Amino acid sequence: MGNFTLGRYLPLDSPIHRMDPRAKIMGMLLMLIAIFIPSGWIGYGIIFVCAAGTILLARLQFGFILKSMRPMMIMMIFLFIINCLVIHTGEPLFVIGPVIIYRDAIFQTLYIVVRLLLMIMITTCLTATTKPLDMTLGIEDLLKPFEKIHVPAHEIAMLISIALRFIPDLIEETQRIIKAQESRGVDMKEGKMQERIMAILSLIVPLFVSAFQRAEDLANAMEARGYAPGEKRTRYKVLKMAGRDYTLLVCCTAMLAGMIWLSRMS
Amino acid sequence: MPIAFEHVSHIYNDGTPYRHVALEDVSLELAEGKITAIIGQTGSGKSTLVQHLNALLLPSAGKVLILDRTIEAGTQPKQLKSLRGRVGLVFQFPEYQLFEETVLKDIAFGPKNFGVSEEDAAKKARTAMNMVGLGKEFEERSPLELSGGQKRRVAIAGILAMDPAVLVLDEPTAGLDPQGTEQMMNLFHRLNRESGKTILIVTHDMEQVYRYCDEVVVMEQGKPKLRTDVQTFFHDSSLCREMNILPPALIRMKDMLRENGFTVSDEISDVNGLAKELARQVKHHG
Repeated sequence: MGNFTLGRYLPLDSPIHRMDPRAKIMGMLLMLIAIFIPSGWIGYGIIFVCAAGTILLARLQFGFILKSMRPMMIMMIFLFIINCLVIHTGEPLFVIGPVIIYRDAIFQTLYIVVRLLLMIMITTCLTATTKPLDMTLGIEDLLKPFEKIHVPAHEIAMLISIALRFIPDLIEETQRIIKAQESRGVDMKEGKMQERIMAILSLIVPLFVSAFQRAEDLANAMEARGYAPGEKRTRYKVLKMAGRDYTLLVCCTAMLAGMIWLSRMS
Repeated sequence: MPIAFEHVSHIYNDGTPYRHVALEDVSLELAEGKITAIIGQTGSGKSTLVQHLNALLLPSAGKVLILDRTIEAGTQPKQLKSLRGRVGLVFQFPEYQLFEETVLKDIAFGPKNFGVSEEDAAKKARTAMNMVGLGKEFEERSPLELSGGQKRRVAIAGILAMDPAVLVLDEPTAGLDPQGTEQMMNLFHRLNRESGKTILIVTHDMEQVYRYCDEVVVMEQGKPKLRTDVQTFFHDSSLCREMNILPPALIRMKDMLRENGFTVSDEISDVNGLAKELARQVKHHG
C-alpha cells in the first residue's frame, strides 16, 4: 500500500478536516464544474491559487499531490502524442521526423494537463481530509432528496462505504498473496509469457476466493446484527453545518459564477 | 553457515504520515540446524523479522546474512529466486495461497518455479503430501474444496516440496485443532531431527516452544529482547514473568510444587514424569 496516494485519507487535524462532509462534497462539485468552464489562463490561475490555499490550510504536502499525479503520467504522455499527431492548427513550431508539431497541439495538451492537475488538487482536498465514513454519510444526505424519485440513497451510501472499507483490506490481501507466491518462486515482475500468466493466475484466484469469503462473512455478520436494507435506521453521528461550511459553499458558488463571467468576457 | 542480522532496521511507509518502525537496530544470530521459536506480542516485529530471511522485505538499514548470501540495505539484490528456493517461508494462514486445479499441481507449483522438471516436481509433491499426512486420494481433488486443516497441510506441503534448507513458519498452527497442531509440530520436529533442516517458528504458544523448540528469541517493540535456549528460558517461571509471558502449564505446576516444599528436578519435562515423581514423593512421606 506504500505508493498509492490518490484518494487516500490522511489523518491530520486542520480546519478543512473538521468541516462538514456535505459542504466539502458540494464545494468540490462546484469547483470541478468551474474547472470545465473555458475561462482561460487567468481563470485557471485563480482556481490554482484557491486550491493551493486550501491544501495549505488542510496541512497537506504538495509532494503528496504530486505523488497522486504519478499514475496520470502515462495517460498524459499518450495524450500529448495523440494531440501532436492530430492537431494541425496554429503555427507550426518544430519538426520531429515526419511529424510537424503545431502550437495548438502543445497548448491543447497543456490545457488538459492543467485541468487534470487542478482536478486532482481539488479532489485530494476532499478525499485526504474526509474520513471515508463521513464521506458516505455526506453522500447519503445529499442523495436524500432524490429518494422521492426512488433513488435508493441509503443503499448506495452503504454500498460505497462497504466498498471503501474493503479497499485497504484487499490491497493488503493482494500484497500478502504476492509475498506468499513469491516465496514459492513466482516472479511477479518478469518472465516469459507463460510464466507471467501463471504468476497473475496465482494472484487472481486466491484474491477472488478471499474476496467472496469476506463478502459472505460480512453479509452474515450484518444480518446477525439485524441489518435490513429497507428498514429505518438512526445514526450515531449526526452531521451539522456550521458557519464556515456555509462560507465555503458561498465562496465556491461565487467562484463558479466568476468563471462563467470570465468565459463570457473572452 | 550462519543466519545473522547486523544492525537491521525496517521502516514501513517511510516519508509518509503512516511511517512505522517495525524493526530497530536488530543484531541477532540464529542457530543453524535447530528449531528456534520467535515469540513476542502482536506488533513486536516478528513477522517483519522473518520476512527478511528470504528477502521479501529488504532492510532499511543494516544487513542480513543468510546461507551464502548477504542482503544489504540500499542495494537491490539479484537472483532472489535461488535464495527463496532454499529458504522456505510459510505465511500465517497459508491456505489463501492455493490456486491450482488439483492438490498435486498446487504442491508441485513451487518446485516447478525453481526449475524442477514436471515429473520430478510431481514426485517431490507426492513426497511432501506423504510428509504432511495427505493420502493419495487427495491428489486429484481441488484444493479449494478441502477443509481448513487440509488446506493448511496442502499449503505447507507446497513449501516442503521445494525442499528448503531453512524452513520459516509464521504461526503454522494458528486455527488448527489440537490434533492437527500436534501432527504439524511433530512433522517440523522430525524434519529438523532427521533432515537437519534449520527451522524458525513464530508462535504464541508457549507449550509448543517448550515441547518442540531448542532456542527462543523474544521480540519486543522491534528489538530482540532476549535470546537463549529453551532449557534456560523455562528453567523456572522467573524469566518468562520478566518478559511478560505466561509460562507453560508444566512449569507453573513445578513452581507451585516447589513453593509448597516439594523437590522437583529440572529433568522432568512432561506431565507423566511429573505425576510419577509426585506419587513417589507423596508415598515416601506417607
